[in-house]
Amino acid sequence: MQFWTRKSLWLALSASWLLLTLLGVFPLLRLAVSPRPQPAAPQGWPCWLDAALLRSFSQPEEPLEDAPQPPQAPHGASCSWGICFDASRCRGTGLKVFVHTAAGPTSEMHRRILASLEGSHYHTRSLGEACLLLLLLSPDAPAGRCDPDPHHWDGGRNHLVIRLHPDPCPQASQLGQAMVAEANPRADTFRPGFDVALPLLPKAHPFRGGAPGQLRQHSPHPRAALLALAEEGGRWRMAGTHSSTCPWDGRCEQHLGPEQNSPEDKLPNATFCLIPGHRTEASRFLQALQAGCIPVLLSPRWQLPFSEVIDWTKAAIVADERLLLQVLAALQEMAPARVLALRQQTQFLWDAYFSSVEKVIHTMLEIIQDRILGASAHPSLLWNSPPGALLALSTFSRNPQAFPFYHLQQGSRPEDRFSALIWVGASSQPPLKLIEAVASSQHCAQILVLWNSEKPLPFRWPETTVPMTVMEGHRKVSDRFFPYSTISTDAILSLDAHSSLSTSEVDFAFVVWQSFPERMVGFLTWNHFWVEAEGGWGYTAEMANEFSMVLTAAAFYHRYYHTLFTHSLPTAMRTLVDEAPACVDVLMNFLVAAVTKLPPIKVPYGKQHQETAPLAPTVPGSGSRPQAPHQDCINQMAAEFGHMPLVSSRLRLDPVLFKDPVSVQRKKYRSLEKP
Amino acid sequence: MCAAVKHSTRGPALIPRMKTKHRIYYVALFSVVLLGLLATGVFQFWPHSIEASGDWAVEKRSAALPVVRLPSDSPVPERGDLSCRMHTCFDVYRCGFNPKNKIKVYIYSLKKYVDELGAPVSDTISREYNELLSAIADSDYYTDDISRACLFVPSIDLLSQHALRIRETAQALAQLSRWDRGTNHLLFNMLPGGPPDYNTALDVPRDRALLAGGGFSTWTYRQGYDVSIPVYSPLSAEVALPEKTPGLRRYFLLSSQMAIHPEYREELEALQAKHGEALLILDKCTNLSEGILSVRKRCHKHQVFDYPQVLQEATFCVVLRGARLGQAALSDVLQAGCVPVIIADAYILPFSEVLDWKRASVVVPEEKIADVYSILQSIPRRQIEEMQRQARWFWEAYFRSIKAIALATLQIINDRIYPYAAISYEEWNDPPAVQWSSVSNPLFLPLIPPQSQGFTAIVLTYDRVESLFRVITEVSKVPSLSKLLVVWNNQNKNPPEDSLWPKIRVPLKVVRTAENKLSNRFYPYDEIETEAVLAIDDDIIMLTSDELQFGYEVWREFPDRLVGYPGRLHLWDHEMNKWKYESEWTNEVSMVLTGAAFYHKYFNYLYTYKMPGDIKNWVDAHMNCEDIAMNFLVANVTGKAVIKVTPRKKFKCPECTAIDGLSLDQTHMVERSECINKFASVFGTMPLKVVEHRADPVLYKDDFPEKLKSFPNIGSL
Repeated sequence: MQFWTRKSLWLALSASWLLLTLLGVFPLLRLAVSPRPQPAAPQGWPCWLDAALLRSFSQPEEPLEDAPQPPQAPHGASCSWGICFDASRCRGTGLKVFVHTAAGPTSEMHRRILASLEGSHYHTRSLGEACLLLLLLSPDAPAGRCDPDPHHWDGGRNHLVIRLHPDPCPQASQLGQAMVAEANPRADTFRPGFDVALPLLPKAHPFRGGAPGQLRQHSPHPRAALLALAEEGGRWRMAGTHSSTCPWDGRCEQHLGPEQNSPEDKLPNATFCLIPGHRTEASRFLQALQAGCIPVLLSPRWQLPFSEVIDWTKAAIVADERLLLQVLAALQEMAPARVLALRQQTQFLWDAYFSSVEKVIHTMLEIIQDRILGASAHPSLLWNSPPGALLALSTFSRNPQAFPFYHLQQGSRPEDRFSALIWVGASSQPPLKLIEAVASSQHCAQILVLWNSEKPLPFRWPETTVPMTVMEGHRKVSDRFFPYSTISTDAILSLDAHSSLSTSEVDFAFVVWQSFPERMVGFLTWNHFWVEAEGGWGYTAEMANEFSMVLTAAAFYHRYYHTLFTHSLPTAMRTLVDEAPACVDVLMNFLVAAVTKLPPIKVPYGKQHQETAPLAPTVPGSGSRPQAPHQDCINQMAAEFGHMPLVSSRLRLDPVLFKDPVSVQRKKYRSLEKP
Repeated sequence: MCAAVKHSTRGPALIPRMKTKHRIYYVALFSVVLLGLLATGVFQFWPHSIEASGDWAVEKRSAALPVVRLPSDSPVPERGDLSCRMHTCFDVYRCGFNPKNKIKVYIYSLKKYVDELGAPVSDTISREYNELLSAIADSDYYTDDISRACLFVPSIDLLSQHALRIRETAQALAQLSRWDRGTNHLLFNMLPGGPPDYNTALDVPRDRALLAGGGFSTWTYRQGYDVSIPVYSPLSAEVALPEKTPGLRRYFLLSSQMAIHPEYREELEALQAKHGEALLILDKCTNLSEGILSVRKRCHKHQVFDYPQVLQEATFCVVLRGARLGQAALSDVLQAGCVPVIIADAYILPFSEVLDWKRASVVVPEEKIADVYSILQSIPRRQIEEMQRQARWFWEAYFRSIKAIALATLQIINDRIYPYAAISYEEWNDPPAVQWSSVSNPLFLPLIPPQSQGFTAIVLTYDRVESLFRVITEVSKVPSLSKLLVVWNNQNKNPPEDSLWPKIRVPLKVVRTAENKLSNRFYPYDEIETEAVLAIDDDIIMLTSDELQFGYEVWREFPDRLVGYPGRLHLWDHEMNKWKYESEWTNEVSMVLTGAAFYHKYFNYLYTYKMPGDIKNWVDAHMNCEDIAMNFLVANVTGKAVIKVTPRKKFKCPECTAIDGLSLDQTHMVERSECINKFASVFGTMPLKVVEHRADPVLYKDDFPEKLKSFPNIGSL
């Protein structure tokens, strides 16, 4: 009996010991082995138990770093903006460019570039004033003749050398500390942030204006070719068609083999344009861009034009030529949203920076100006979305929300106040009634009167709740659009002294403007047309089914257009307007249309005004405005702009219940309908 | 025996009644068990405390690693090839079979390298490099199949060149199993160079390997091949600096680095003498008591400041180069939301390939250090605040942890290999708040499509043949119609025979659907070849040809909007605290009915494939609100309001208002309101925009001869 008890006790004892050993030793074993990477761990890298004990890569007790060596003496290949360019010389006057006029034979392209440079507002004729000296290497110069030796060369410091054709001179180092602006520079010798990459311009590239982009619709036509291949001899070969379902549901059939061999010399009509990476094929890039054909660059050996500021990933695809099949598959499967965005971006970039020699040269100067400005340069958004950095002046504001163009991208809204700017012409009466009507608008923030009349100022102005400022002085017509610092709101209501408006008209027009802050919103309209017999443009104020201009005698627009009018238009055009004041409306409409590429907006205008006020647009320039060669001014402007920017519209925006047979009590803008 | 039985039957009372002898025995037994348990417990913790006490564990680990002995004559790679670019030195074929446009990264297993004499080549792996490899292993990029990998990461720690034996490390790299001149190998290094000349890139010969380096200069960086990365600051993990609201702070400009060249320090001090309190120039503390970490303190004369907290007191912070171009201070400065003023000529800023540093920093040439104050003064306050916000965002997204640095590096390389799937500038640079509120209109190009293109009319029908034929006849009178598509939504009945259809001047096609769903109206049919689509119900016969043609003209001027006839409004019901559908004839509109509406065909694609949440199913289940869903979709993606055309207020009577003297269809209104609330919650916002205008022909109701008007026949209400 005792024996059995003892035996069972021993059994229990040994069992518990076994348990203990198992419990105790396994963790011990695990510990002993654990710091080794576990071979079959599900993740590739082991989780160290003691990772926190590992030493940091940077040891604080490391001796303090030695003093830095002085900056290396700059030499050609290692030049960068901070080292080789003395920006302090531009501090006072901003960027001023002096052009060394080269002797010897010049080509047509050469002359266009010179003209573009001279037309820029950065240009100066005084060498002393300039902080950037520009040297134009002749494209026709024989090889070897590329050692620049103008006076004031100074080792190339603060010089920019323009080479429109690829490497007549092999080494950049020959040019000392000068920056090089070159067409399609080699990617491996290009100094980012210092050199400027230019596009390779065809010989016949227009000086100004330039052909618009070819894209007529946003999305690719379902039957359009998918691919165009750049072939030797400047031709494009179409390959593969969009199966119409292809972009929509990804049911793409591969059509990789060349299907048709159409001798397309001109612009490719396809969704994607395949361009080999050799520099000789680089000229195809601009063609594709203009055609709205998304460039697919196969391992380009050259730097894309203006790559410092243009985000090419939004308009082109830089792919590896070795993965051609994968690239083609990826193109066919590309999401429609991306295709849409890329296509539209090609057109915007073409039109903003490439379509004329003038745009290319001005873009180049703007890039250098941005480098000088440093922190107050154009933000990337301004370079890469319409209307582009040449039309969105960085001197106006660096904040995108201050411009009329970027409210959507910024998630902001135009403010709900406006300033009325009343121009009192030479023989006008004080616009007392008008001031009262405008000041009663709930959105009116201030009234500015530009008193330009010979008559004395009125004894008393009407009582208004909003502040009123009178600015006296004898002004030119172009001063009407000067960016006065007293204007405190984004919206401007531009008025003539003899305009006649009711408060509800003002209110409604302003609410409409808030939906279209980049356009002009006006009451009275003109229309332009092509006169076949004379081979020129004409315009009329007669009532018509369409219109393309609104009169600035009564119109809402963004105050940014004052800045643009004063600082970006060539002086010649403003002088023209001062001599022929009737042209000022045409010019302002040209300017806004050139920026927006959209028609202005017309809102209803009470008939009662048209009978009483002389504002009614019977004949342009009649009434208080002096007669002028006004029919001619539209042609002069078109010549100056290089194209006809005006766009016609066939609609008018009315209040939702306008003239509807419903109770007047329902209507918010009922006084608009007074007979 | 009997006793035993007795005992056993008594059970629990057994032990106290035991004999003394037995009692001792049991006590001894239990003490032994207890002791055993205790011992186990102690053993459980014992080795840990050993490990914590020093480098023992690390040593032990290295002892357990496979050892690779490097003969002194084993091959050394070539020095880095400066002309390398992706298309010359990178073997892209290895990335050919990576699915989903994602590169696959392999990590070599950890080994111990010793030289011929058995001396280790390097220290053990650093904490940061371990973190970096763990981050890669945890990411989608990782593969453990070496043959499918496109990028190889050695587990040799090169983060700091300080502790490396250059030649031997290079030999260790060269014997990696897939080395092949370093092709497709990615090396990480944050502290390159060493005294006295401090090269700006890792000195270890590495042939064609890509280098992710902190501190590149323009002449060592291979644009488009190497990746410039930040120098990680260990303080990022140690100190939590809460985000501070942007604005001007106590000090305008602060210099906090300890190892600054005396010449530069003099210049900064001269500036301070000139501008006084606005500047603060800190140095290391000389008289700190024992036990205080010198890296966490900075001094100005006898004043002691906590670092990095003091950075939050400054608007701008100088980041001067030391011996190396890349400074960990940059990370601290960004974390503090202080705008870095980078004074390091030729320095390639971290991730500069994708990050727009102009938005977050000011770069000043070393030569201009004396002008720093005036340069900064010229920056408007608003912009400063923007930069502060951006600086903090950069830190949070790309500097905060080793993991963030590693993943950003891989993303950059991934974007180069699969450019068609690359991340956009906005995704890299816009802080989340901006990304949320901004809208990128898919049809952003101001373009007026040519009139010649015309539009495609899509008529959704079930079985109202007579009415359908009338609609077809009416619509075919519109000059710009280029094709007519009938969507036959009745599966139980065949469409009428070809000969019965009205004869019209444009192609007419009938599409039969598989299911009677409302969504079929918005399907992107292959047959649609024009950009403009007119969706029209099979009972809309009141619209005149002029009205429809004018609608198309309006769409051409607003191709990115919904252009429709009767307008509707959404209102906030303050009592019920939710949205309400309004069909009263108000002064505002925010929606148009799609019983007849023009829109871009792209929106059909969006509706069918990109409609958020379960909205599409909801619409099909309720057989209602497809038009509201379309209004939401278009407004959300474009950020723009609809355009209501002409006075038209209603199509037919289910929705007629009290004005007509008919009873209001209450359930219908309730259901529509429910839709708005449902959709607003799915979209997470109310995208609809309210406007007070509609579009009429220029001369609408003007005193002008009717026959001269382009669109004389515009119906009413």
